[in-house]
Amino acid sequence: MSEKILGKCRRFLGSLAHMRKLQMQVIKADEKSVTVVLPVQDQLLSSELDTYMHGGVLTTLVDTATSLSTIPALKEYELCPTLDLRIDHMSAPVTSQPMYAHAECYRVTRNVLFTRATVYQENPSKPVAYAISTFMRPGAGNTDLAFKALVDGVEDTV
Amino acid sequence: MDLLQQRVNQAHASGDYQPVIDLIPYAGVLGVKCERFGEEMIFRLPRNLDNIGNPTIPAIHGGVIASFMELTAAFQLTLQLEHPALAKIIDFSVDYMRAGLDRDTFAMCTVERQGRRVANCSIIAWQERKSQPIASARGHFLLDSFSSLT
Repeated sequence: MSEKILGKCRRFLGSLAHMRKLQMQVIKADEKSVTVVLPVQDQLLSSELDTYMHGGVLTTLVDTATSLSTIPALKEYELCPTLDLRIDHMSAPVTSQPMYAHAECYRVTRNVLFTRATVYQENPSKPVAYAISTFMRPGAGNTDLAFKALVDGVEDTV
Repeated sequence: MDLLQQRVNQAHASGDYQPVIDLIPYAGVLGVKCERFGEEMIFRLPRNLDNIGNPTIPAIHGGVIASFMELTAAFQLTLQLEHPALAKIIDFSVDYMRAGLDRDTFAMCTVERQGRRVANCSIIAWQERKSQPIASARGHFLLDSFSSLT
């Protein structure tokens, strides 16, 4: 089951241009949660200031991770738009370490999905940020079929 | 005079804000631009296929929109502070109202209150009409962490 979820998450992530640009990867996905990594990369480092001013890209990482966490929460893939996203920054991330976002969808209703995430670097028990995000379910038949097939992959459609 | 102060002064003098924006690498990755109209600064996220997060509509990645708004607030603060500094983010909250379509997006930040240590910002982002925002956001920034940035 976890293999299937991991496959779905990876295909979803791989289909998004911005994720490819940032080299984001799903490193773990199971029935409960998803973990995404943002590797250290030159395009996010500044040669002039000794700071990441990392807020911006952390936000993208969190949005991606919480969005991915809706996949294991739903039986059938649905492309859920984000309603809102809130991030509390505990400390500034360092430039020399990859950033990880661990996200879970903790409540599913007919219309809405509630998710939360923690962002950490070296030590998962010392998060650099906490986040919550809410997603709207599109309703039956409102997810593009071709995109659903792409995320579901070939082996799942059999 | 530190690099940031120098860049901000030059930008205000020349009207070219790109050197300030270039200080933050992710702003460059997204392609953020900035223009000044009198007292108002409008930030622009030009249409860019690399920013797509929903290939079916297609629509801009929600995280990209949020990041763009967050950077808008950070730059606005940096540019309007008496002693420029890259403000450190405390919290940020965004509400999405419409899909961000594959076209130019604009954003403006209002500093609702600037205290000695904390600034409270609200940001709106729009595409076709400012009266029909695609997202609104608010955030708090810490202003007393200057030393780490000089």
